[in-house]
Amino acid sequence: MMRAWMTPWLLLAVPILGAGLSWLLRAALSRMKTAALITTVVSLCSIIGSALALGEPSVGVPFLCLLPLTACLSLLGQPLHRDTSPAWPMTLILLGLGLGTLTSQGLVHGILLLLLLILLCGVLYRHQPVSAPDTWRGLASYGLGIIAILVALVLPAPASDIAGLMACATLFPLLPLHSGFVASLSGLPGNLPAFLALLLPMVGFHDLQVLLPTLSGTVLHTLAILALAGAVYGSLRALIQSRPLPRLAYAALAFFCLLWWYVADTGTAPIPATIYLSAVGLATSGLLLAWFAIRARYGDVDLRTLGGMAYPMPRFSTLLALLALAALGMPPFGVFSGFLSMLLLPTFTPSGPFAVIMLVWLTASWYQMELVQQLVFGRAHAELRYEDLRRTEFMSLVLLLFLLLVLGTAPSRWFESNAPTPPLSTASQGDTWTR
Amino acid sequence: MAFLVLVPLLPLLTAFIVMTGDRAEQDQNARAGLLPIVASFLGALLTLVLVTTGGPVTIQLYDPAAVANLAFPIGFYIDRLSAVMMVLITGVTTLIYRYSMGYMYQDRGYRRYLGMLGLTTSVLLCMVSSANLVMLFIFWQILSWLLFLLAHNHGHGATLSGAANTFTMLRLSDAAFLAGIVLAYSLYGTFEFQTLFTRATETPITLFIWPELGWEMNGVTAVTLLIFGGAMGKSAQFPIHTWLPRSLYAPTPIHALLHAGIINAGGFLLNRLAPLYGLSPSTLHLVFVIGMLTAMLGATMMLTQNDIKKTLGFSTIGQMGYMIMECGLGAFSLAVFHLIAHGLFKGTVFLNCGNVIHKARQEPSFPHLDREAEESEFSSLTWSTGFFTTLLLPLVILLVTHGVLRIPLLESQGTVIFLFFIWVTSSQAILSLTRIRAVASWKVSAAMLVTLIIVVFTYLFAVESFTHFLYPNAEEVASYFKAAALPGRLFDSLVVGTTLLTVLSWVYLYAHAHGRTITIPGWIEAFLVRLYVVCMNRLYLDQLYLKLGRLVTHVAHRLEKRLS
Repeated sequence: MMRAWMTPWLLLAVPILGAGLSWLLRAALSRMKTAALITTVVSLCSIIGSALALGEPSVGVPFLCLLPLTACLSLLGQPLHRDTSPAWPMTLILLGLGLGTLTSQGLVHGILLLLLLILLCGVLYRHQPVSAPDTWRGLASYGLGIIAILVALVLPAPASDIAGLMACATLFPLLPLHSGFVASLSGLPGNLPAFLALLLPMVGFHDLQVLLPTLSGTVLHTLAILALAGAVYGSLRALIQSRPLPRLAYAALAFFCLLWWYVADTGTAPIPATIYLSAVGLATSGLLLAWFAIRARYGDVDLRTLGGMAYPMPRFSTLLALLALAALGMPPFGVFSGFLSMLLLPTFTPSGPFAVIMLVWLTASWYQMELVQQLVFGRAHAELRYEDLRRTEFMSLVLLLFLLLVLGTAPSRWFESNAPTPPLSTASQGDTWTR
Repeated sequence: MAFLVLVPLLPLLTAFIVMTGDRAEQDQNARAGLLPIVASFLGALLTLVLVTTGGPVTIQLYDPAAVANLAFPIGFYIDRLSAVMMVLITGVTTLIYRYSMGYMYQDRGYRRYLGMLGLTTSVLLCMVSSANLVMLFIFWQILSWLLFLLAHNHGHGATLSGAANTFTMLRLSDAAFLAGIVLAYSLYGTFEFQTLFTRATETPITLFIWPELGWEMNGVTAVTLLIFGGAMGKSAQFPIHTWLPRSLYAPTPIHALLHAGIINAGGFLLNRLAPLYGLSPSTLHLVFVIGMLTAMLGATMMLTQNDIKKTLGFSTIGQMGYMIMECGLGAFSLAVFHLIAHGLFKGTVFLNCGNVIHKARQEPSFPHLDREAEESEFSSLTWSTGFFTTLLLPLVILLVTHGVLRIPLLESQGTVIFLFFIWVTSSQAILSLTRIRAVASWKVSAAMLVTLIIVVFTYLFAVESFTHFLYPNAEEVASYFKAAALPGRLFDSLVVGTTLLTVLSWVYLYAHAHGRTITIPGWIEAFLVRLYVVCMNRLYLDQLYLKLGRLVTHVAHRLEKRLS
């Protein structure tokens, strides 16, 4: 007989056991990878199974399912290499912690969140060149998140709410606490950045949804200003990065800040907002995975040294172009439909800052297209040995695109069934057109 | 009527046929791909007949009341405007596809190009038959992307930069369009065309932009201005026209499609939303100003370019400005008529232009230097026919309209606008004819008179009939003209200014033809030389945008430096 309190432990246990099994099989990399992949599938089944058994999980099942799916797809395209293999069990552990955090409440939720941040600090410290200032900024950001969670666990409201909000902002990136997110996406090995691009914002956003009804108008106003600044900052930084990983990290920051602004401006976090969040995360994952395919061939090189892949690598070029389209908000993918659906909700009224939002939205086509243009078009380089995507790499990117397409075209009611009711705090609904 | 959906879907089949299959069979597939395009054209003709006889067709694949389905509200609304556009698009595509089968033969991107052509046609057809603003916008954006891909030539640096510029400029206007849709939905709670028009008419809304300063704006004006931003991009209006000349390295048939079909999207959008624009005189006035500026600058820059494709590109910009200006004057149907005529003309010119360039490359020769012969062969008969027909025409028209037809011209700006279009168009054509030297002057004079008759006939009968066809409700047409009416003095000065310009052109031509020296003050001459250089360099707008881009990246770099 399944009980509600068992769900987080079950969802936590399956990936962690899988991680242990995978680690035991590390002598044979192919078996290790297969074990990790099977674990993600079992984890997906356990989410669906527990949802069916209970009927009322704490967050929408479709969105929860995206986590093991993304973990699976990020692992699928990975080359069998010693350097990247430690990231596989780590992905599973993070998956377990993420699922546990999203489905738990109260003290357990706080502890799991704390563990997640501590683990992220550890991984970041272990894998980044310590001398890099970005690493220290990232560690400081996560460290602040840890302190914030401890404060939130100990102190009463409203101090706990503000502390909780700060913890949210380290995961679901918001200026000035975005450094951990950026460092994780641009510095961690293997498939971890691609998975974290979805996991971290999803966990942070879930906490924000819970905190939203308790936030005052002043706090929301402050958040809106920070979000606007973050969106502009992220866009500007993305614009000038010559390496794809920081570029994608800052681009994701800009797009997530758009969502922060929307939530702060309307005081709501409706279903389209979750669709948008998932789509931005998935699109960033996809672009990161596409870049990993290139990195596996040529190393972590400057963008300007590559190019001309359209003819020698047609599958890669097509998928990269489509992923970039999805990431910059073109139809029919999820980022576009999530964004548009959010804006068309009656809770939203266009105001002055909306112009800035549109500008940020527009800037994405500049830096994302530059990335595509640099890699795909131009003359082929004689010194490069071109090799198109292998079957697993191809499959992982195609399936990610498919997920983005589903998010973009599926009716919203598909995602509504088990999701929490969007809290309404400050914004009021009304038939605005009858004014 | 559901079979009408096949019209936009058939070109997709072409794309599928061409893109799939073995490379060795690509010629065979290309030939097979022509059939769905032709079928689509025939379907569009049938649609036009059905819509003309039976009224607009609506096919909705969604529930307009359900917000849950907002993500992809696919539906079709085909009225006379959509049907006309569908016939134009499929007709032009059929010709371009057939032409390209020979022109692009054995090109490396042959399959990709033909496939993209099918896809673009399908997207264009879906766009013009959209049932609501969101669907229109979705296909509008996809079109921006396809244009970026079509303008590409993978190995050519200038083309790459031009394509990126095209996409950025189009996205700029797309962002304005998106903001317009969001505002429209926020104010009127719908994106269905007819409901939107009804609510906008019934519910006047005032937006307080800056309440402390008393800045306010009509809701419809705000929506239409933002949406016009979208139209400006696709129709290459000043100052975001720079993408069009920069995309001219693409294959020639692409330009035929671009100049005959895609670029008309702006005019179509304004026509589709004509009832909304009719509610906002301020927007119409701005549309008029932008259109006029574009027409003047486009035509001026066209005269100073030294590359045939750029010349044609700026000619299109000028024509698009003209078309947008017509919309700004409330003559929406005239804009569609213009759009069709220009599309067919420019498509033909571009398809020929490819051959001319190829021929010039194979048989290079110096341009003709027959200036002296021109001077000596001045014909007073040609000149006087042109002069009298051009200057007598307004008097004849005024006599006919005012005296015989008893149309109160002073109270009807719309009619005056039509009359002026007749006059300016025929003057331009006749002025061009005076440059013909190789034939007898009586033939040129006869050609002038025939041209005059054709132009007058076209405007008075063809355009009038077309207006009646597109907008059967005469009151609706009158209301657009009324909304677009300019302040009396401004309108009068425009009329006087245009008249003076036309007369002065003839005076200059006469003096020039007789070898007379026209004394121009030195500063004006110097100014003209500078103006020529500025126009030749396309107002330095490309450089200005480049500097703006560099400024943004410079700020970003400084920001990064400070932070690290």
